[in-house]
Amino acid sequence: MKEIIKVTRRQFVKIAGYTVGAALYSWNFAKFTYAAVKDNIATRQESVYVQDTKMKVRKSQDSPAVKKIYKDFLHEPCGHMSHHLLHTHYVDRSARVKQLKAKGLKLKV
Amino acid sequence: MRVIENVVTLSNAPIPQDADNVYFIQVDQTKCEECGECENHCATGAIQPKDGNDGPRTVADPATCVNCGQCLVNCPYGAIYEGVSFVDEIFNALKDPDTVVVSMPAPAVRYGLGEPFGYPIGTYVGGKMFAALRKLGFDYIWDNQMTADVTIMEEGTELLHRLTGKIKKPLPQFTSCCPGWIKFMETFYPELSENVSTCKSPIGMLGPLSKTYGAEVTKARPEKIYTVSIMPCVAKKYEGLRTEMSDSGFRDIDATITTRELAYMIKKAGIDFKSLPDEEPDFDLGDSTGAATIFGNSGGVMEAALRYAYEVVSGKKLNDPDIKAVRSHKGVKAATINVPKFGDLEVCVVSGLANAIPILEEVKQGKSKYHFIEVMTCPGGCVNGGGQPLFPDVREASLLRSIIARINRRFNMRKMG
Ligand code: SF4
Ligand code: SF4
Repeated sequence: MKEIIKVTRRQFVKIAGYTVGAALYSWNFAKFTYAAVKDNIATRQESVYVQDTKMKVRKSQDSPAVKKIYKDFLHEPCGHMSHHLLHTHYVDRSARVKQLKAKGLKLKV
Repeated sequence: MRVIENVVTLSNAPIPQDADNVYFIQVDQTKCEECGECENHCATGAIQPKDGNDGPRTVADPATCVNCGQCLVNCPYGAIYEGVSFVDEIFNALKDPDTVVVSMPAPAVRYGLGEPFGYPIGTYVGGKMFAALRKLGFDYIWDNQMTADVTIMEEGTELLHRLTGKIKKPLPQFTSCCPGWIKFMETFYPELSENVSTCKSPIGMLGPLSKTYGAEVTKARPEKIYTVSIMPCVAKKYEGLRTEMSDSGFRDIDATITTRELAYMIKKAGIDFKSLPDEEPDFDLGDSTGAATIFGNSGGVMEAALRYAYEVVSGKKLNDPDIKAVRSHKGVKAATINVPKFGDLEVCVVSGLANAIPILEEVKQGKSKYHFIEVMTCPGGCVNGGGQPLFPDVREASLLRSIIARINRRFNMRKMG
C-alpha cells in the first residue's frame, strides 16, 4: 500500500494520464479544451475590430501625421529617404541549421 | 532572474553581436513534466526531448528557434522561461535626466495590457497605457501604430510597383512585419527572400524615425534618444538586436520589452493603472488610424494594405473600409478582391507559422496564384503573441491539459508511426 502512495508528481501525472485518458478519449474532450483557448484569442480580436470602427480616421493614407511626415521629411513612399531608413535586406541563415541537421538533429522543416 | 507576469525571466540584455547565440526561449529541465504540449505549438521543431526520446524538452539550438514564444505561452507547467530582458536597463534610462526615453508600443499591446490589472480578456486600454507610460517617465509617447500607417504607405506602394513592373521583383509579395516569420524565412526558405517586402516592420521604421524625424521635431539630440519597443512578442527582441538595424546612425532600437514586462514595470513603479485617466500619444510619431490598430490581428495588415491599394489603383473612394473577407482567426484564408482598373487581386492570409509551409512550397515551385500573402507566426496574430499576458486557463487546468496533451501526443505518434 505504502508503495502505491509513494509516487512522485511526475509519475502521478503519468498514471493519471493513462487512466483518465482512456475515459476521455471517446468524448473528444481534447478538442473541447483547445476550443476554450481559441475563444480567448477571438475575444481579443473582436476588441481590435471594435476599436477600429471607433477611430476618427480608418485609412493610413488619410492620417494627418502620415501626411505631415511625407510632406516634411520622407517626401514620397518608396523614395530615397524611405529606402535609406525604412527598407531593409534579408540574410541567408540556412547554413547553421544545415550543419546541425547533418550532425543528426531532427526538425519539422 | 525573476517572475514577470507568471513567466520566469532572466535579467540579461545582450549586445547585437551576440543575438544569434542567445536563447530567447528555453526550458527549465527541472520543471518540465514531459507532456509534449510545447511541441504542438512549434513550427520548426526546435523544442524537443533533449535525449531524443521522451525526456524533458529543450530548445535544441538558437538557430532553430524563431523566438515566437508560442511554446512558452502554452506550457501548462510554467517550465519555459525567457532568456532576455531589458527591464533593468530601461528603469536606469528613465532615471537618467540626460536621456530622452521614448515609448513605442505595438498595436496589440493595448488589447492585452489590461488583463494583468484585472480587466476582462481583450479590454482595450490604449488611453490608460499612454497615461502609464507618461507616469513611468517616458519623455515622448510615440506609438508604433503611427508607423504601422507608414508601413502601409511603403508596403502598399511596393506591391503596386511589383504589380506594374516598376520594380523587377517577383510576385507574390509577402508581408514583412512578423519577426518570427522573417527569421523562419531566412533560415528555412532563404530562396524566397526576393518575394518578401523590403519594408521593415512598423517598429523597424519607428526606431530610426525617432532618432531622425523625431529628433528634428522635438529638437532633442539624437545620441541622447533611447528608444523602447514595447511588443506583444518575444521575437521582436531579436529583431531589435539585428545588427543592420542602425540606419539612423545609432542603434535604431535600444531596448525591447513585452506586454508582460510593461505590466510588471507599471506595478513595480506603484502606478494604480485602473485609476489612470485616458491620455493621447504625442502627435508627430503618435497619431494613427483604424488601419494601424488592426495590425494586431491576423488579416489586419492585409486589410489595411487593401484599404490603401484599392483607392490608389482605382482612383475611387473605398466607401466601406471593412474588408471582412481577409479577417482570419486561424489557418489559411484566401480571398479574391476585385479592384477597379486592375481586376482580381488574389490574396492569402496565413495565421500560424506551420500553416505557411504548403504555401511556401507552392511559391517555390512557381505555382502560386497569389499576388500578396500575409504571414503571422502566432495563431490569430499579434494579439495572441508570445509576449502577451498568459490566458488564465493555460496554467489553471494544468493537470487536465497535461493529460490531454499526452493523449494527443500518443495519438499523433501512432498516426505518424
Ligand atoms: S509543455 Fe510540457 S513538455 Fe513542454 S516544456 Fe512544458 S512541461 Fe515540458
Ligand atoms: S519559441 Fe517558437 S520556434 Fe522557438 S522553440 Fe518555442 S515554439 Fe519553437
